[in-house]
Amino acid sequence: MMNFGCDKSDSSGRDDWMEKLRETGTHVTRADMNKLIMNYLVTEGFKEAAEKFRMESGVQPSVDLDELDDRIKIRQAIHSGNIQDAICLVNQLYPELLDNDRYLYFRLQQQKMIELIRQKEVEAALEYAQIHLSERVEENPEVLSELERTLALLAFEDPESSPFSELLHPSHRQKVASELNAAILEADATPKLANLLKLLLWSQDELDKKKEKYPKMTDISKGSIEDQK
Amino acid sequence: MEVDGSLGPLDGFFTGNPEHSLETCRNVKNMVIGNNRQKSAVINDGLLPRLLQLMIDESVSFELRTESAVILGSVAKGTDQHIQSLIDAGCVHVLLKGIFSVHLKYVEACLRCLRSIYLSNKAPADLVYQDLAIISHLVNILSKTATTQECITSIFSSCCKTQAHQNVLYSNGMVAALAPLLNSNVYKVQMPTMKCLAVICYKNESVSHAVASATFNGEPIPSLLLRLIARNRTSEMQMAAAKCLTYLYRAGGLSAKNPIIPLKTMPTLVRMCKKDRTLEENIDGAETLAYLVEVDPELQKIASITDHVISTLAVYLKYTDVQQITSKINGKKDMDWGLEMKQAAFKAFASIGANDEDIRKKIIETENLMDHILMAMTSDNAKVQGAATRCLHSLSRSVQQLRTTFKDHSIWKPLMKLIEIGCDEVLAIASSTLCNLLLEFSPSKEDILESGAINMLCKLASKEDPALKLNGVWGLMNMAFQSEEKVKSEIVETLGSEQLFVLLSDEDPTILMKTLGLLRNLLSNKPVCNLVHIDSIMNVYGTQVMQAVVFILEGDHSVDIKEQTLCILANIADGDRAKDFIMENEDVLKKLMSYMNHSNPQLQIAATYTISNLVWNEHDDAKCYHRQEKLRELGVQRLLQKLLDTPDQTLFEKVKTALQQFS
Repeated sequence: MMNFGCDKSDSSGRDDWMEKLRETGTHVTRADMNKLIMNYLVTEGFKEAAEKFRMESGVQPSVDLDELDDRIKIRQAIHSGNIQDAICLVNQLYPELLDNDRYLYFRLQQQKMIELIRQKEVEAALEYAQIHLSERVEENPEVLSELERTLALLAFEDPESSPFSELLHPSHRQKVASELNAAILEADATPKLANLLKLLLWSQDELDKKKEKYPKMTDISKGSIEDQK
Repeated sequence: MEVDGSLGPLDGFFTGNPEHSLETCRNVKNMVIGNNRQKSAVINDGLLPRLLQLMIDESVSFELRTESAVILGSVAKGTDQHIQSLIDAGCVHVLLKGIFSVHLKYVEACLRCLRSIYLSNKAPADLVYQDLAIISHLVNILSKTATTQECITSIFSSCCKTQAHQNVLYSNGMVAALAPLLNSNVYKVQMPTMKCLAVICYKNESVSHAVASATFNGEPIPSLLLRLIARNRTSEMQMAAAKCLTYLYRAGGLSAKNPIIPLKTMPTLVRMCKKDRTLEENIDGAETLAYLVEVDPELQKIASITDHVISTLAVYLKYTDVQQITSKINGKKDMDWGLEMKQAAFKAFASIGANDEDIRKKIIETENLMDHILMAMTSDNAKVQGAATRCLHSLSRSVQQLRTTFKDHSIWKPLMKLIEIGCDEVLAIASSTLCNLLLEFSPSKEDILESGAINMLCKLASKEDPALKLNGVWGLMNMAFQSEEKVKSEIVETLGSEQLFVLLSDEDPTILMKTLGLLRNLLSNKPVCNLVHIDSIMNVYGTQVMQAVVFILEGDHSVDIKEQTLCILANIADGDRAKDFIMENEDVLKKLMSYMNHSNPQLQIAATYTISNLVWNEHDDAKCYHRQEKLRELGVQRLLQKLLDTPDQTLFEKVKTALQQFS
């Protein structure tokens, strides 16, 4: 939750600013704030949190929470390294997605290869690359370097400590999972909260460029606002 | 699994064991999706007919039929050849049958496949219209799910190609079905909905009226579109909404005065022409803007002062060699963006400068515009040639430009070359431009004449295409205006009197009008010089001319045409010996008298003017008294005296002049 009043030592400039905000009637209601949070939880696919939040706040999610199950299942499959399962699920639920977005398909296939390498199945990884990934390179030569980086893992006895070890890190699975999630959601992929933060940063940037003095939010995660000297 | 795209073992696909078949089908699906080689394998292994067989077999489970349809749908996402194979295998028929199923999942799979096929523009649109039940069913299930919405609107947006298609869709309730979808919050639904609306309105007056007045929740479609044209929407969406509104206005659904057009649609299109948009949007924006303002001088004026659009478009001309921007979709052919940008700018310039001299001046002052036009006219790309010529045509309406820039650049040279070799589309606009260059005040007239224009125009005047025929006659008419006798007789000789009289019996009133104009110009004496063209031409063709004149005067024609014909008589009466052709033809004289009594003063004036020429007494010669005597006998003088009561000032003057000649 953003906290607007955490730093008491601020000078009166900020109080003036907040006062002005109140006067112009731009007060953000708790209900709107809750909606923003619900929107975040739903787009990111946090079903349990969304359910809890619904009970706590009384805000109704914009979609049926059960619809999240599909996306969660797919996400879980990727997080646990079952890429083929994820691909089959996607094809079942969104049959046109991987045909339309071949790069996304490449990312999934690449992840599948990474999983094979993780399991030391060198033969299988090479065969998979030959059969399935050569076509990707023909379609889009730009993926070649990514493919090479992945195959380079095979050259190391201990890929985990190679220069390309980041590919094996769990965060790579997460990255692929959220790329897929975003593709499924398309236009609504970014939570509204993220867009608001972008706007905030942009406006502050514009104000800074004009050397305006205003209470600036310096730490977004804490929501702390400071006066500028 | 083999490397070169074979599907591997397919045993069990048709073993009769349903579970086994379903399993195999799913495997095939997962191999095919995203893999073009596997798509080819499906086709090469002869799987298409077997999948289609499954789909039409009612005894097969709908799961299996759905999986089959999904496989076909994936094949349709491959290359153009893949899609062609699907069409050749008779896929469209089966899919169009599939949409009647009660299983929504299966229907959706069929629709997705149909959409991919139709968006490729390879399948014949008529298949959808062969059975009206298909249309009404598609409209009925349109609103069921987001998938049916996006698929059906996409299908229609690419297979509504003729006015008949538009009318069928409209009469099956398509407009009412589309309106609510504009309010959808799904982007993928809104976009094809707008495309669909645009194509069914395009040049269709009754449909666009219906669309303009259709409402959803009490809100008319144009205001729903206004929400989608707003600045917080994506460029693509603003463009689509602007296109819809443009088509609505051009087909008559909205008025040019409706603020939506000048205040919303136009600025949006102009914005699309700016540098910060993609090249596709630049081109689409300029072309749509050209269409928006094409016929309305007021909109042209507003456009010319909207956000520096003229200088924005001028930048388009500088794009060269912007080739090879590969499209995301595989297998799409490269475009020459430089040429596309140029032709879009030319089209926009042509429209914006169509009516206003100041705007034309502004356009022509654009850096090196004439050089760009000249270059484009000699390019080998028909689209660019056509657009450049259209632009030239629009600019050629300016007297000042004809006298200056056009002359300086010897525009007539490439123009005549285009007419000589150009294809039919360019020919119409090029020959129309040539007509303007032949106007009397155009300094290029002489040059054009010398390089064989008469021959060229006569050829055009003998064409089948009415537009070309018209331009041929029109050009000849301009050419003959106040020209020397040599030119006039060359025109008559080249065209041939026979063709001239064929043209005089043309059904098209504008062609007839211009032919009469040509004849009138041929039969006039050049002022100042004392040459007698009238007599020399009447000497040779007098009888035929008189026949044609009588023929037209007796025919069922508009006032303008009759007036023009009477003016020809007046010209003949202005000749010396030519007068006899009228005097000896009592039939014509009686006709003249009846036109003097006509209810339309225009015709009265022309007839009186002819009489006045007949009785004109310049040299005090005996023949003139003889003519006066004859006309007096016929009661012409009496008639003239009666006409002195006319309230029409011009007629009164003519009557007075004529009466003064009688001695």
